Amino acid sequence: MNPRRVTLPVVLILVVSVLSGVACAKDDARMSALKAAEAARFQANVDADGKVLGQVLDDGLEYVHSNGEVNTKAEFIQSLTSGKRDYVATTFEIQGIRILGDVAIIRGTAKVTVADNGQSRDLDLGYTDVWLWKDKRWQMTAWRSARMPPPAAK
Amino acid sequence: MRTVLALLLVAAAPFAAADAPRGDEASARAALLARFDAALHADLPALETGLADDLEYCGVSATCSTKSQYIESVRSGKRKFKSLRPEIGRVRMFPDSAVLTGKVYSVSIVDGAERNVDAYFLVVLVWRDGRWQMTNQTSTSLTTTS
Repeated sequence: MNPRRVTLPVVLILVVSVLSGVACAKDDARMSALKAAEAARFQANVDADGKVLGQVLDDGLEYVHSNGEVNTKAEFIQSLTSGKRDYVATTFEIQGIRILGDVAIIRGTAKVTVADNGQSRDLDLGYTDVWLWKDKRWQMTAWRSARMPPPAAK
Repeated sequence: MRTVLALLLVAAAPFAAADAPRGDEASARAALLARFDAALHADLPALETGLADDLEYCGVSATCSTKSQYIESVRSGKRKFKSLRPEIGRVRMFPDSAVLTGKVYSVSIVDGAERNVDAYFLVVLVWRDGRWQMTNQTSTSLTTTS
């Protein structure tokens, strides 16, 4: 058998395998980065950390609060750093993550204690946020949440 | 030689797929409007086509449905719309997906009672099998409550 006839297909298979492996590793890295970005964002809300929020929020952010209030990125960050809205505590649980190319969807639940203009409330939320892979990092571009019904009403 | 060509074709397939025609913004808008229209008219075949198999449909009460659960709710009449008026605001296009946001004003009949729900929606469409399919819709009520 001609060695060249064997070698070339083998090399091609190896190249395809390596490229596939690189793609899988890239996907895993992006998934890890996305989970880390989500955790960092929730923590930055509590810390009112405008610098971190500036990194993890997309300039085109549409943030719709569960009470129907709508914020741009600048408005959202300003409301936290000014103390107008104070996320006293937040815990969250991711229910599902899907990465579709450079777009990712996270669906989850969150327990939030928030003080708006000095009035404190505990909220149980279901949420979906959409992230974009831009400038080699994940940035959240949309948030929608809704209040969970109280346990007795479920 | 045939083996080499076959392997080259396999290796090039993802790149060829990347160059395949994709839906544009107009078609994404049309797909979403068709989706709302199918819900209004309880058009099950249109919903089957327009909804992705991995649909997550999360309503204003924070409960989420799968595709089969959503279609069953329409088929059974549990989810019945009297009117449904969407207003698409922003559309953002990506290679295999589109993110659309806006408002929808609806009147539905739930357990015989009329219910008005006005909501902000967030929709993600994916381009699969040569058409747009809705893979996520999440809504937040417009109504401001404390």
